[in-house]
Amino acid sequence: MNNRLVINYTPGPTMLHRLTGFTKVFLFIAMTVAIIATYDIRILIPLFLINLAEMISMKPNYKPIVIMFAITFVTVTLLGNVMLFLVSPDVGFNNIGVTNMLWQGSGRLYLTKEFLWYCLVIFVKRTASFASVMAFALATTPSEFASGLNKVGLPYKVCTIVSLAYRTIPDIANDFINIRNSMMMRGVELSKKASLWKRLKNTVLILVPLIFTAFGKVGNIANAMDLRGYGKHRKRTWYAEHETSKWDTIIRILAVILLAAAVYYIIRYRIIDPWPARIWCPWADPNEIVSVNQIDTVFFMKWFKK
Amino acid sequence: MANKSFGQKLLGVWNTRTIVTVAIGAALFGVLMNYGGIPVFTNTSLTTAMIVPVVVGAMYGPLPAFVAAGVGNVIADLIGGWGLWFDWSVGNAVAALFVGLLPIYGAYITDGVFEVKHAVIYAICCVIGNAVAFGVVTPILTAVFYGSDLNVTFLQAIAASLGNIAVEVVIGIPILFILAKRYKSRSNLEEDE
Amino acid sequence: MKEPIISFKDFGFKYKAQKNPTLYDINLDIYPGEKILILGASGSGKSTLCNCINGLIPFSYDGTITGSCTVNGAETKKSSIFKLSGSVGTVLQDSDAQFVGLSVGEDIAFALENEMMPRKDMIPVIDRNASMVGMQDFIGHVPFNLSGGQKQKVAIAGVFGNDVEILIFDEPLAALDPQMGMTAVDLIDNISRESGKTIIIVEHRLEDVLYRPVDRVILMAEGRIVADMKPDDLLRSTLLSECGIREPLYITAMKYAGCSLEGNRNLCDLSSLELSAENREKLRTFFTEERESIRENNNDPVVSFKDVSFSYEGGKKVLSDVSFDIKRGERIAIIGRNGAGKSTAAKLLCGIIRPDSGTIELDGRDISSLSVKEIGEKVGYVMQDPNQMIVKDIIKDEVGMALDIRGRSEEEKTEIVNNALRTCGLYKMRNWPVDSISYGQKKRVTVASMMALEPDVFILDEPTAGQDFRSYTDIMNFVNTLNREYGKTILFITHDMHLAIENTDRAIVFSDGKLIASDRVFSVLSDKTS
Ligand SMILES: Nc1ncnc2c1ncn2[C@@H]1O[C@H](COP(=O)(O)OP(=O)(O)OP(=O)(O)O)[C@@H](O)[C@H]1O
Ligand SMILES: Nc1ncnc2c1ncn2[C@@H]1O[C@H](COP(=O)(O)OP(=O)(O)OP(=O)(O)O)[C@@H](O)[C@H]1O
Ligand SMILES: [Mg+2]
Ligand SMILES: [Mg+2]
Repeated sequence: MNNRLVINYTPGPTMLHRLTGFTKVFLFIAMTVAIIATYDIRILIPLFLINLAEMISMKPNYKPIVIMFAITFVTVTLLGNVMLFLVSPDVGFNNIGVTNMLWQGSGRLYLTKEFLWYCLVIFVKRTASFASVMAFALATTPSEFASGLNKVGLPYKVCTIVSLAYRTIPDIANDFINIRNSMMMRGVELSKKASLWKRLKNTVLILVPLIFTAFGKVGNIANAMDLRGYGKHRKRTWYAEHETSKWDTIIRILAVILLAAAVYYIIRYRIIDPWPARIWCPWADPNEIVSVNQIDTVFFMKWFKK
Repeated sequence: MANKSFGQKLLGVWNTRTIVTVAIGAALFGVLMNYGGIPVFTNTSLTTAMIVPVVVGAMYGPLPAFVAAGVGNVIADLIGGWGLWFDWSVGNAVAALFVGLLPIYGAYITDGVFEVKHAVIYAICCVIGNAVAFGVVTPILTAVFYGSDLNVTFLQAIAASLGNIAVEVVIGIPILFILAKRYKSRSNLEEDE
Repeated sequence: MKEPIISFKDFGFKYKAQKNPTLYDINLDIYPGEKILILGASGSGKSTLCNCINGLIPFSYDGTITGSCTVNGAETKKSSIFKLSGSVGTVLQDSDAQFVGLSVGEDIAFALENEMMPRKDMIPVIDRNASMVGMQDFIGHVPFNLSGGQKQKVAIAGVFGNDVEILIFDEPLAALDPQMGMTAVDLIDNISRESGKTIIIVEHRLEDVLYRPVDRVILMAEGRIVADMKPDDLLRSTLLSECGIREPLYITAMKYAGCSLEGNRNLCDLSSLELSAENREKLRTFFTEERESIRENNNDPVVSFKDVSFSYEGGKKVLSDVSFDIKRGERIAIIGRNGAGKSTAAKLLCGIIRPDSGTIELDGRDISSLSVKEIGEKVGYVMQDPNQMIVKDIIKDEVGMALDIRGRSEEEKTEIVNNALRTCGLYKMRNWPVDSISYGQKKRVTVASMMALEPDVFILDEPTAGQDFRSYTDIMNFVNTLNREYGKTILFITHDMHLAIENTDRAIVFSDGKLIASDRVFSVLSDKTS
C-alpha cells in the first residue's frame, strides 16, 4: 500500500533534496501560482520542462510515478475529453474565439481544430501541475513540509496538523493491514479465496474499526505531546529546518523572480490588455476573435435568457 | 458538548486533542481518497473519505471538520500525485463544513445524543452542503483557475454530490449511531459478577 | 527535613467513565532527589497515579478529584499541563503512541522544539541522548519500522532532552531485553545520582529494577497504597506475594530453602548479598537436590522453518537462512535482543508476511499456498502490541468475535468467552469498552481472544509484558494445561527469563536475524548469548 504513495520520509542525497523546507515550499507555491495563472502553452511547456528536469535530477524510483501518471492522466484525461466532446464540442470556440470545422457529424456532433487545441492546452497545464507536485513530493520530507509552511507564515499548529497527518498515514496503512490480519487470523476470509462480493462486504466491515482505531489513538498522542510541552509557547523551532546553503539562496531568488513574473503576467495579459480569448492559439487572429462570457456557455443559462 | 457556547460549537476548541484529531482525520481522508473509492467521473469518485469529516464534526464541530477535509484533500492530491486542484479541495472542505454542523443542532454525539430527528437534519445538511459546495463553490473556482468547461464541471459536480450524499447518508448515519452508543457506553462502568 | 516535591493528601480520583473511584485516600510525600519504585498488580492504578502527577489528570482525562495533590508546592488541579510539563517528564506506558516525530532524531527533539531551542544547540543534545540508549545509528530512522523495544528506547531518550526535576517512567522495561533493561536501569540510576532529579519508576520486573538501589517502594493494590517502605523490609515481608507481585528469584529460592531472611543485610542486591553460614548451607543442599529432568519429546515436527530469509521492503535482512523444527507438544521460548527478528519470525509463521526465500511448513505442509485464515485455524498469534489486534469496542465481543465467525452457538460462545475472561482476570469487566482499561489488561484481552480458539500452535509475543505475577501465573497455568492435556504446541516470545526457565522445554535464540542456539533453556542461559 505504502509503496504506491509518493511520500519520502528520509531526505535524499541530491541538491534539491538538501534544500531547506522553506525553499521547497516557497518554490512550490510560486510554481503552482505560475501554472494556474496561465493558459499560454508557450509558457506552460517551459514550466513543465523545468519541473520534469527537477524530477529527473532527483533520480527517483520511476515505477510508482509512471503508474500514477498512467492512472491519473491517460484514464482521467481521455475519459474527460470524450465526455467533453459529447457534452460541449464548442468548448474550443468558447475559449479560443474562432472555429475551424474539421469534421461535422449529425447535429451537435462535430470536431473543430480549436477543440483539439483546447484539449492539448489543458492537458499540458495538468501535466505541468502533476510534474510540479511530483517534484515537490519527491524532494520534501513531511517534516520539512511542515517547517517550511511555518516559515512561510502559517501558524505552527496548522503545520503540526500536516506533519502529524503524514506521521499517521503509514500507521493507518498498518492498522488497515493489522485489522485485516487479526480478522483473518480469527477466521474472516478476505484473501482472493473469497468471492468478490464477500470481500467487498468484508472490506466495509474493516472500514468501521479502521476509523475507530485511527481516532482511538488521539488521546495517547495528544497526551504525549502535552507532556512534552507542545503548544507551550507562541512559536517553536524545527529540528527539520536545517541551515541554508548557497543553493537555497539561488533557488529562492529564482522562485521570487518566477512569482513576480507570474503576477506581472496576470496583471499585464489578463487584466490590462487581455488576449481577447482566454486561451492563446497560433492560428487565431486577434481581430476575428469573438470573446465569450463563460457563464453564458452553461447549458441551463439558455433557459434564463429567454 | 452541550454546555459549550455557540461559538465553541461552531469553531471547536483548539486544544492539542483537537489538533491531533484533525490531523488523523486529514490522514484518513487522504488515504481513503486514494484507496477507499470507486471512480465515477473525471477526478471524481464515490469515495468513503467523506465519512471522515462526519466523525470529526461529530466530535469537535464544523470548523475542525472543514480543516480536516481541506488539509486531507491537499494531502490526498500530493500523495496520490493528482496535482493540486484547489477547486475540489475547497469544495470538499465546504461540504465538510455543513456535514460537520452536528453539535449546532443539538446532536451531541460525545454525550451519546443522536436521535432520528438529528439524523433527518443531518441528511438535509448533507444535501444542502453538497449543493452549495459542488453547485456553486467548485464551479466558480474551476472556471476562474482551471478553465475546465463549465458544463462538464457541473456534470461532475452533480455526480460528486450524489456520490457523497449517498455515502454520507448510507454509511454516515449508522456510524453516527454507533459513535453515540460508544460514547454512552463510557459512563459509570461497574464491575459486575 | 526538606519540603516534599510531590505530596498527596487524602487524594482520590474517579474517571468520568467509571462508577467507582480508581484511586482511594492516597497519602504520599516524595522528597527532592528520591528514587521511588511503584509496584502493584495490573489495574491497581499505578499509571493513574503517575498521570495525577504529570497533569494528564485532570487536564486530559476528565474525572473527579478529591483531596489534594501538589507538585513543587503548586496544587496540580489549579496549575496547567504546560506548567507541569516544565517540571515533570514522563515516559508513557504505551511507547508506540508517544512517538510523535517523523524520525528518531525528531522525536527526541520534540520537547526541545517546543522549548524553542535553536537547531544548532539541539543536535549535540540529541546525539548524546540517542547514544545513551544505544540508538545513535537510528537517528534518521522512521518510527514505522522500529521494533517494540527500539521505540521504547527512543521514548526514554525523549525525556532526557528537557531539564525537568521529576522523571516518571511507566514500565520502561516492559519491551526491553534483559541486557537493555539493565542498561536502562543503570541510565536511570546515573541520572538520579548525577542530576539529583526525583525519579518515579513503575515496573513489574522488580528484580531488574532492584539491580540498582531505590530509596523507597510504594506498593499499590486496588487503588490504595498498601505499603511504603524500604526495599529490604518489603522483600522480607510476605506482602509481595499477597499483592501478586513476583519476588526476585533468589528470594523465592531462599524462602523455599527455608532460609530466614532476617539476618541478611541489603537483600535487594544479589551481588552484595551476604548469606549467613547456615543459610548458605541450606541453599547448597536445596540446589544440589535432584531436579525433575525435562521430558524427552520425540513427536513429529509441527512447525519447521527451512532456510527462511526475510527483509521488510527496502530494509536490511531481518532473518537470514533461519532453520528450525518445533515438535508437536513442545513448549518453546524464542529469545533474543530487541530487533533480533522474533516478532518477524512469528508473523512469517502466521502468513501475515511471506518469506523472501526458504519454506515454512505447518504439519509438514508448505504454508505458502495457505491463506492467513487457513493458517489461523491452526496457529494463534497474540501480537506484541495489543492495540494492533483489538477490533471490537466491548471486551467480551472482542473475545467472542472469532467464535461468531466460526459459527459457534450463542451459549457455547458465552461459555468459552467467560472461561477465557476468568482465566485472564477480566470476567468482571467483560462489558467494559476496551479503551477504558489499563495497558496490561488490554494485553490480556488479546490473550483471551486467542485462548478462546484453543489453537494447535499458540504463539504469545511478550505475554507477560506489563503483567503482574498473579495474572502471569493464571495465564501460564492455562497455557500449560493446554499443553499438557491437549498436547498443544506453545511458543513464547519473551525477554522474561523466569518464564523461559519455568515454562519451556527448549529455547530458540535469535541474534541479528540469525538462529544462534536451540537448546535446553538452562544451557542456553549459562552461555550468555541472549
Ligand atoms: N481512560 C480510562 N477511562 C476509564 N477508566 C480507566 C481509564 N484508564 C484506566 N482506567 C481504570 O483504572 C484502572 C487502573 O488503570 P491503570 O492504568 O492505572 O492500571 P495500572 O496499575 O497502570 O495497570 P498496568 O500495570 O496494567 O498498566 C483500570 O482497571 C481501569 O479500570
Ligand atoms: N514493519 C516493519 N517494517 C520495516 N522494518 C521493520 C518492521 N518491523 C520491524 N522491522 C525491523 O525488523 C527488525 C526486527 O523486528 P522485530 O519486531 O522482529 O524485532 P523483535 O525481535 O520482535 O524485537 P523486540 O523484542 O523489540 O520486539 C528490527 O530491526 C526492526 O527495525
Ligand atoms: Mg499502567
Ligand atoms: Mg517483537
